[in-house]
Amino acid sequence: MSKITQSFVFLSATLVLASVAYAQGGGDKAQPSAKASQMGNTGMNALQDRTASTPAGRLFVEKCAMCHRQFGMGTVLLGRRMPKDQAMLEPRKDLTKEFVIMAARQGIGNMPRIPRGEVSDAELDQIATYLARGKK
Amino acid sequence: MAQQEVDAGAAAKALKAFAAIVGAGNVFSSEEDKVAYSDHFAPDDMEEQHQPSGAVAPSTVEEIQAIVKIANEYKVPLWPISRGKNFGYGGAAPVLKGSIILDLSRMKKIEVDAASGTVLVEPGVSFFDLYDYLQQQNIPLWISVPGNSWGSVAGNALDRGVGYTPYGDHASRICGLEVVLPDGDLVRTGMGATAKGTTWQLYKPGFGPSWDTMFCQSNFGIVTKLGLWLMPEPESVLGFDIDVDKPEDLGWLIDTLGQLRREGILQQSPSIGNWLRAAATMTTREEWAKPGEVLDEKVIAAIRKKFNIGWWAVALRVYGPVEITEATLKVLERSFNGKPVLKMSPTRWVKGGAPEGSPATGVPVTYPLANANWFGGRGGHLGFSPVLPVSGDLALKYFRRNYDLHNEYGFDYHPSFAIQDRSMNNINQLLFDQDNPEMVAKLDTLFRTMVKEAAADGFAEYRTHIGYMDVVADTFDFNNHALGRLNRRVKDALDPNGILAPGKSGIWPSPKKGGAA
Repeated sequence: MSKITQSFVFLSATLVLASVAYAQGGGDKAQPSAKASQMGNTGMNALQDRTASTPAGRLFVEKCAMCHRQFGMGTVLLGRRMPKDQAMLEPRKDLTKEFVIMAARQGIGNMPRIPRGEVSDAELDQIATYLARGKK
Repeated sequence: MAQQEVDAGAAAKALKAFAAIVGAGNVFSSEEDKVAYSDHFAPDDMEEQHQPSGAVAPSTVEEIQAIVKIANEYKVPLWPISRGKNFGYGGAAPVLKGSIILDLSRMKKIEVDAASGTVLVEPGVSFFDLYDYLQQQNIPLWISVPGNSWGSVAGNALDRGVGYTPYGDHASRICGLEVVLPDGDLVRTGMGATAKGTTWQLYKPGFGPSWDTMFCQSNFGIVTKLGLWLMPEPESVLGFDIDVDKPEDLGWLIDTLGQLRREGILQQSPSIGNWLRAAATMTTREEWAKPGEVLDEKVIAAIRKKFNIGWWAVALRVYGPVEITEATLKVLERSFNGKPVLKMSPTRWVKGGAPEGSPATGVPVTYPLANANWFGGRGGHLGFSPVLPVSGDLALKYFRRNYDLHNEYGFDYHPSFAIQDRSMNNINQLLFDQDNPEMVAKLDTLFRTMVKEAAADGFAEYRTHIGYMDVVADTFDFNNHALGRLNRRVKDALDPNGILAPGKSGIWPSPKKGGAA
């Protein structure tokens, strides 16, 4: 079966980790700043905003935010190859429903495929609609 | 080994019958589904060798019992997963190709007894789910999380995962299980065996034999509920983040921490990681070296300088009332007096203050999984995890040998040493590039060499990948593999048709008619 192989373009050097996560929080919690060495060794200040205001947003938090909000694996990795303000998915304006569904079902790079037992087609549809809401 | 083959026709019939139980929308058998339940982080050929023939996702115990009956009827193996996030050890994938995944991720009930400090979780509850629940309900209990908290609380405890708080030996905090046996019978262990089960999550042993540990890393039953003790939120968490400068500092560091751990001064499980454990979440290899180039001390020094990290680093934490943690911190400080530490930064959280927000304070995280992206592109990782005595000399010797082996085979060394009461889990992440066939080819040889060399010294793994369960089980060879014989006798008694997770931890049912020896 096909796996997506991507060659990543590194737009910025490292250390987006500490900066990116605080630049664009999905919520309003004040967050302390983390130093790279603290994160790398102990994971200090890795608190993630787990709030949501809509049902679809809540579904995103339950199924995706662990990797795609602050300090998530996805945020860290997207931060390596995307402009800083696009490392997290919720604020993005370029995501289409089709792309979100494809990414979830086929996986991308480090992101494992999300099985239908974990996120049903109906749930994924809701999440994809939620993430594509910014696309004009 | 008693390798079986799954009858594809029977599997297809079973999947059809499962649809009548859980609804067609919860049975998954397309090519995409099979791939989705395969091991994303394994090399392609290994992933293919462990591909399931489909999945079924029940939401109740009754549905599981009905599924098990049908699996017996068609003699089709089920591979239960809680959430399928056992990355580095196989993810959702089965040992035996063609098994049907019994996906329990839809079962997400949480029952907390706040007064007693316990929880009863279903298998689909993730660390984030439980964390969110406790936060939302404002319950002052902390969870212990592993480095990848995406997975299941129950599944991780059953696979003997480890975390960083005083409750970091997850399997040791299990108190009471509900289990569907391979014949469909339903049993509750410990005090849960009484009809009311009032003290189910309070007292581990029960009456007569204790069975909880029998369902850890085994294929003797499907755990549908798991009781776990949770840590009351402490008044304070104080500690030190310690970095050391040289590879050989590992020795005294382990001896110092081992003593503190044995004496009970340190009650958490400190995990010593090398520079790469920290760096691999913050950068990628290609920024520092050409492909295939060994990362020599000069490169390592440059990476360490950039991120301000030691060759080794460890986070120590003490938990409790401030009077106690402050006093304990002094003892910790004293035990490092005169030792060549590079950095020793105090940390301090007192209730009411800004949270430390780390796994050491029970905050779930997934960012450590970013390390699999060390090579960029399709990262892979495989865990090699022997148990060692807490001895600095021995660890140094062992570290040097494994480091040399890594360099010889062209891998970057990514070890950690998690110090428990009397032993250490030496968890080595073999990071590789799935699109580098030469590297993938060497991976298998390196893994087997390390298992063999460890076994020659009397060390064995605490946990392993689905592709190596027989290899590791084979190292438990006292009295010509007496443990393996015992496991098989239990397996055959409980699971005469061999339908439950054949091959898990190297436990295979006895060959039946037509089966291989």
